[in-house]
Amino acid sequence: MLLAKIFFTFLKIGAFTIGGAYAMIPLIKREVCQKNNWVSEEEFLDGLAAAQSCPGPIAVNISIYIGYHISKGKGMLIAVLGTILPSTLIIMLIAALFNKYAEASLVQKAFHALRPAVVALIAIPLYQMSQKAGINLRNFWFPLSTAILVGVLTISPVYLILLTAVFSILQSSRKV
Amino acid sequence: MYWQMFFTFMKIGLFSFGGGYAILAMIQQEVVIKNLWLTQSQFVDVVAISQMTPGPIAINAATFIGYQKGGIPGALLCTFGVIFPSLIIMLIVTISYLKLKGKAWFKNLFSKLRLLSVGLIAAALIMVFRDAMQDMFTILVFLLCLIVTWKYKTNPFYMLIGAALIGILLG
Repeated sequence: MLLAKIFFTFLKIGAFTIGGAYAMIPLIKREVCQKNNWVSEEEFLDGLAAAQSCPGPIAVNISIYIGYHISKGKGMLIAVLGTILPSTLIIMLIAALFNKYAEASLVQKAFHALRPAVVALIAIPLYQMSQKAGINLRNFWFPLSTAILVGVLTISPVYLILLTAVFSILQSSRKV
Repeated sequence: MYWQMFFTFMKIGLFSFGGGYAILAMIQQEVVIKNLWLTQSQFVDVVAISQMTPGPIAINAATFIGYQKGGIPGALLCTFGVIFPSLIIMLIVTISYLKLKGKAWFKNLFSKLRLLSVGLIAAALIMVFRDAMQDMFTILVFLLCLIVTWKYKTNPFYMLIGAALIGILLG
């Protein structure tokens, strides 16, 4: 049955992709374009672009896009459920154990080294993304001031996002 | 309490652009700074756990915090909250993407938001940096992870497992 197949395909995608959405993309593509022929390669790339532009986790967004393409609203919900079910179950289990073992010295030691590793993990995509986003000397002030406002002055990103959205829409409507 | 958790994670879902690391600053703002549900180090722990387990960071953080604050119902509620805006917005975009794709305002909006999300990743970096760098040992681990991942493009999963082992053996 198609819905069951959608569910198990996305369950697999959700269960086997560790390390963020960008690690997920090749697997999703193989499953939905090559193995099942649910969407064409071009439709997939459009969906990926849309998923990256819209708010929310990229993996969830692309599941919505592909699920909807296969089987409308039902396909969409089943695909999302499949994608998030493995991580939700695993995290609930870890959260339950975490309280019990957080004080254990081995866990403490592991997290003592994991924290700086996470910092490195965030630093690397920062460089890659700044190249992809087309940062140059003229627009450098924008991400820099965002970083200071949010990271140092702890201003909520919400205001900056709303301001950016309003400003960029006004800007393009003036040009037309 | 449940209502506030759901609403907070809905807000996180609605205002998180660029996926993954760009979402961190938003989660930090709501969970660490505004609601005090986690301390800064607990937040970094959640990020580490998220990257060692499957699934998106936003979902993992929502499930983890939801469970800690309200058991299984809390976990499910927060997880649903974080994906709820995506379900609606992405559905609209999926249906109308071919039409929107060509529009100048749509392109301009998202190229600006991409620039913003670079700034947001940097903001998350600033916030976790101050908390994670406690002594010489953590600074060395940071540099080692940076160099290894940079040079060998290691999958984050293996890098974190390696860091955890270093912590257990040498920390």
